[in-house]
Amino acid sequence: MLAVEARTRLGTLELDVALEVAAGECLALAGLSGAGKTSVLRVAAGLVRPVLGVVQANGETWLDTERGVDVPPEERSCGYMFQEYALFPHLSAWQNVAYPLRGLPRGQRRARAQELLERFGLGELADARPRTLSGGERQRVALARVLAREPSVLLLDEPLSALDARTRAGAARELAAVLREVDTPALLVTHDFGEAAQLGDRVGVIDAGRIVQEGTPSELAAAPRSAFVADFTGAVVLTGIAHTGADGLTHVQLDGGGVVTSTDGGEGAVAVSVYPWEIAIEPADERPHGSAQNHIHAEVVSITTVGNRVRLGLAGPQPLAAEITAASAERLALRAGARVTASWKAAATRLVPH
Amino acid sequence: MRCVLALGAAVVALGAACGDDEDENGGAATAGERARVVVSAAASMTDALEACAPDFGDQENADVRLGFAGSDELAAQIREGVKPDVYAAANTRIPGELHDEGLLEQPVEFATNEFVLAVPKDSGIDSINDLTAGDVKIAIGSESVPIGSYTRETLAKLPPEQEQAILANVRSNEPDVKGIVGKLSQQAADAGFVYLTDVNAAGEQLRAIELPAELEPDVTYGAAVVKGAKEPMKGRAFVDGLTDGPCADALQAAGFGAAP
Amino acid sequence: MTLRRAWFPALLGLALAVALTFLTLPILAIFVDQSPADLVTSLGEPGALDALWLSLRTTAISMAIILAVGTPAAYLVATRSFRGKAVVVTLVELPLVLPPAVAGIALLAAVGPAGILGGTIEAVGIELALETAGVVVALTFVASPFYVRQGMAAFAAVDRTLLDASRTLGDSEARGFVRVMIPAALPGLAAGGALALGRALGEFGATLMFAGSFEGITQTVPLAIYDRFATDFDSALALSAILVAVSAAILLAVKLVQRDDSLGGWGEGPARAGR
Repeated sequence: MLAVEARTRLGTLELDVALEVAAGECLALAGLSGAGKTSVLRVAAGLVRPVLGVVQANGETWLDTERGVDVPPEERSCGYMFQEYALFPHLSAWQNVAYPLRGLPRGQRRARAQELLERFGLGELADARPRTLSGGERQRVALARVLAREPSVLLLDEPLSALDARTRAGAARELAAVLREVDTPALLVTHDFGEAAQLGDRVGVIDAGRIVQEGTPSELAAAPRSAFVADFTGAVVLTGIAHTGADGLTHVQLDGGGVVTSTDGGEGAVAVSVYPWEIAIEPADERPHGSAQNHIHAEVVSITTVGNRVRLGLAGPQPLAAEITAASAERLALRAGARVTASWKAAATRLVPH
Repeated sequence: MRCVLALGAAVVALGAACGDDEDENGGAATAGERARVVVSAAASMTDALEACAPDFGDQENADVRLGFAGSDELAAQIREGVKPDVYAAANTRIPGELHDEGLLEQPVEFATNEFVLAVPKDSGIDSINDLTAGDVKIAIGSESVPIGSYTRETLAKLPPEQEQAILANVRSNEPDVKGIVGKLSQQAADAGFVYLTDVNAAGEQLRAIELPAELEPDVTYGAAVVKGAKEPMKGRAFVDGLTDGPCADALQAAGFGAAP
Repeated sequence: MTLRRAWFPALLGLALAVALTFLTLPILAIFVDQSPADLVTSLGEPGALDALWLSLRTTAISMAIILAVGTPAAYLVATRSFRGKAVVVTLVELPLVLPPAVAGIALLAAVGPAGILGGTIEAVGIELALETAGVVVALTFVASPFYVRQGMAAFAAVDRTLLDASRTLGDSEARGFVRVMIPAALPGLAAGGALALGRALGEFGATLMFAGSFEGITQTVPLAIYDRFATDFDSALALSAILVAVSAAILLAVKLVQRDDSLGGWGEGPARAGR
C-alpha cells in the first residue's frame, strides 16, 4: 500500500494532493505538463520535500513533516522510472540493471541482471552501452533496473512518452503485463489519458496541483465532473447557457448559436460534453431523421483516418469532432468544405458547470 | 578577381608592417624619425639606467630600449644571434669572451661596484663569519651570472671549512641579483651576496655588510657595441655616455664607482 | 566548386597552414638541433636528472592535492546555486589570468615569511620559501584553476536525473557522487587535469620567486632550463625535449581516456537502429 499526501508550493504551482494505491494496483495520474504530476512522484521518492506531507509505504512511514520524519531517497524502497530513463552512460546494460544490487557478490549480480534482461528480450544486449541501444531497448533496460531489487513501490514518470508511436503500442502492452504481475502498488504519471486508461486500474486527473477527479477510466469518461476532465478524457466540449424546459429536459443555448438538449440537469453557464463517436453525420441538405434531438450545422474542416475509422474536424458555431466508420465517410463522399449536420442524442449529452 | 584583390591587399599590409623599422644600411633613421637604441644591461644597473635613459634619448634624439637580465643570459642571446646595439655587463670577462668570439667591439671598462654581504635590515648577522651557523639560509647568484662567480671567487678565498660551511647553507642559485634581493626583502633568505648598488636600490629594507679588503673581488663593469648592430653610432655614444654623461652621473648616484 | 567560390576555403587553409607552422616549428627545432646521442648524454649530467625527478615529484603531489580538493569543490559549485555563486566562480578562476610573476608576488605576500600568514606557518613549523614544499604550493596555486574550471563545466553538463536515479537505486549522495557523477563527468575532468598538469610541469615564474632555484630542492625542469641556457645551450635543449615529450604523452593519454569513455570524445559508431 502506498499513501501520499503533499501540500507545498513549487514555483508558481500550489500542490495539494492526497492519494492511496493498494497493493497490486496501479493508479495513473493524468494531467497536462506543469500540473504537478512529476512532483507527486518526487515527493513519494524523497527527491523533494514538501512543506507539509505524509508518505507511507509498505507499513513504513517514509515522510511525516509534522513529526519530523524524512527518510532519504536511498533508504526508501522505490523503483523510480524516469521519463528519459536516466541510464548510466558509462555502464553497460547489465551493469545498469545490477547497479542497485550492491549487497550481492558479483557473480550473482550478473546472473540476476541477465535474468531480468532476458525476461524483456534483451539477453544478447547485456554488454551494450546505453548509447548504442534504441529507445525501446533503453526503456526496457530502465524497467529491468527498476525491478531489480524488488522495490516496495513503483513510481513511473511518463514511461511511454519518449518512445515513437510504433514502439509505444508494444511497450504499453508489455508494461501493462508487468504491472499486473507484480504485487507492489504502482503510481504512474502521464499526459495521455489513453495511456492512463490502458495502464491504470484507476485514474486520477490532476490539474493545477490538485486531483480534480479519481475513478476508473470509464467512470471518468462517462461522468466527468468538470469541463477540464471532460476535455482531457477526449470529449467534445461546447459552452452555453442552460435552463430547464417544460419537457423536463435541459435546454442549452450555445454560445455562438444553436440549441442542444440534455437529460442532465443544469442551470446557467454550463459546458456540454459529448463523445465524438456518439455523433452521427448527415449531408446538410437532408432532413435529419431518427430520435436524436441535437443537431448542429457545420462544415468539414479536416478528415483523419484512424484505422477503420475516420475522425472529422467540424467548424460550426463552436468547433466539434465526430468519429464515424471509414465506410460511412466514403458513402457520404465527405470532403473538406462539405456542409453536414452533426446529430446526437440528448441522453448522450453530459452537462457540467462551467 | 576578388581573390586577387584580397591577396594583394594582404601582401601590401604585410610589407608595410615589416618594412617600417628596417634601415637599409644600418645607418641613422631618416630625418625627423627618432632612432631606437637597444641596450642589454646587467640587472644591477636597472634603476640607474632607467633613470638616465630619457636624458640620453633627448640628447641624441633617440629612444632607448632597455633590457635587463643576468649578464650571462644576455650574452647567450647575443651568441644565438640577437643583436642589441649595446651590451653592458657586470664583469669584464664575459664582454672579453664575446669580443674574442667576434661578436662585440672592443669592450670599455665604465664603472666599478662593491661586492657586499646583504641581510634584511633587522638581521642579527654582522659578518661573513656568522654565515657558517647551522640555520642560516643564503641566496647567491648561479654559477654563470657575474654576481654568482664573484661570490664563489670570494668564498674560495676563505679557509676551506668555512667555505664549505657557507656553501652548505646556500638555498637558492638565482639567475640575477634581483632575485637575490627579492628573497632577502621577503625574508625568505637570511643573507645574500649582491652589489652595494642593489642594497641602495632596495631602500631601507636591506643592510649591507662590507667585506674585509682581502676578500673583496675586483668588480669592474664592461660594455661595448655589438657587431652588426643597427645603430652603431648611437650605440657608441651610449657607451661613451656611461663614463661621461647623464648615465655616468646616474650610475654614480646609485653607488657605482667611477671607471678605473 | 568554381574558382571564384574557392577563395574562402583557400583562405581558411592558408590560415591553418600558418598557424600549424608557427606552432610546430619551435618544437621541431628543439629536436632537430641535436642528435639523440647528445640528448641522452646531456640527460646524464648531474643536475638534469635531479631536475626531472623534482619536477615529477612536485607535479604529482600538486596534482594529488588539486584532484582531491578541486573535484568536490567543483562539484559543489556546479550543482548547487547559492548566494554569491558568481563571486565564488570568479575567485576560483582568478589565478588563471594572473601572470606567473604576479602569482609569485601574491604567494610571497600571503604565505611568504614576511607575508600575512607567514608567522603562523613558521610557528607551526612548516617551511615553504626556498623549500620543496614551496614549489608544491606554487604549482598548486597556478594550476588548480585550470582543473576546477573544467570540473565545474563538466559536472554542470551531467544530466541531473542521473544523480536522482542513483539515489532512488539505493546510493547516498556521496556514493552517487563517486559511482555516477565522477564517471559521467570524466572526459571534462580528464581535460581539466591535463591542462593543470601541463601548467604545473611548465611553471617557472612563481616558483622562482617564491621557492627559489636550487638543484634537487627547488630547481624544477623549467628552472633548470633557464639556469643552463646561458652556459650550456645543448643541455637546455635536452631538458626542453624531455618536457615536450612528457607533455605530448599527457595529451595523448587524455585523448585516449576521452575516446574510450561512452559520453564524449571522437570516433563513436552510429547508434543502432531499433528492433
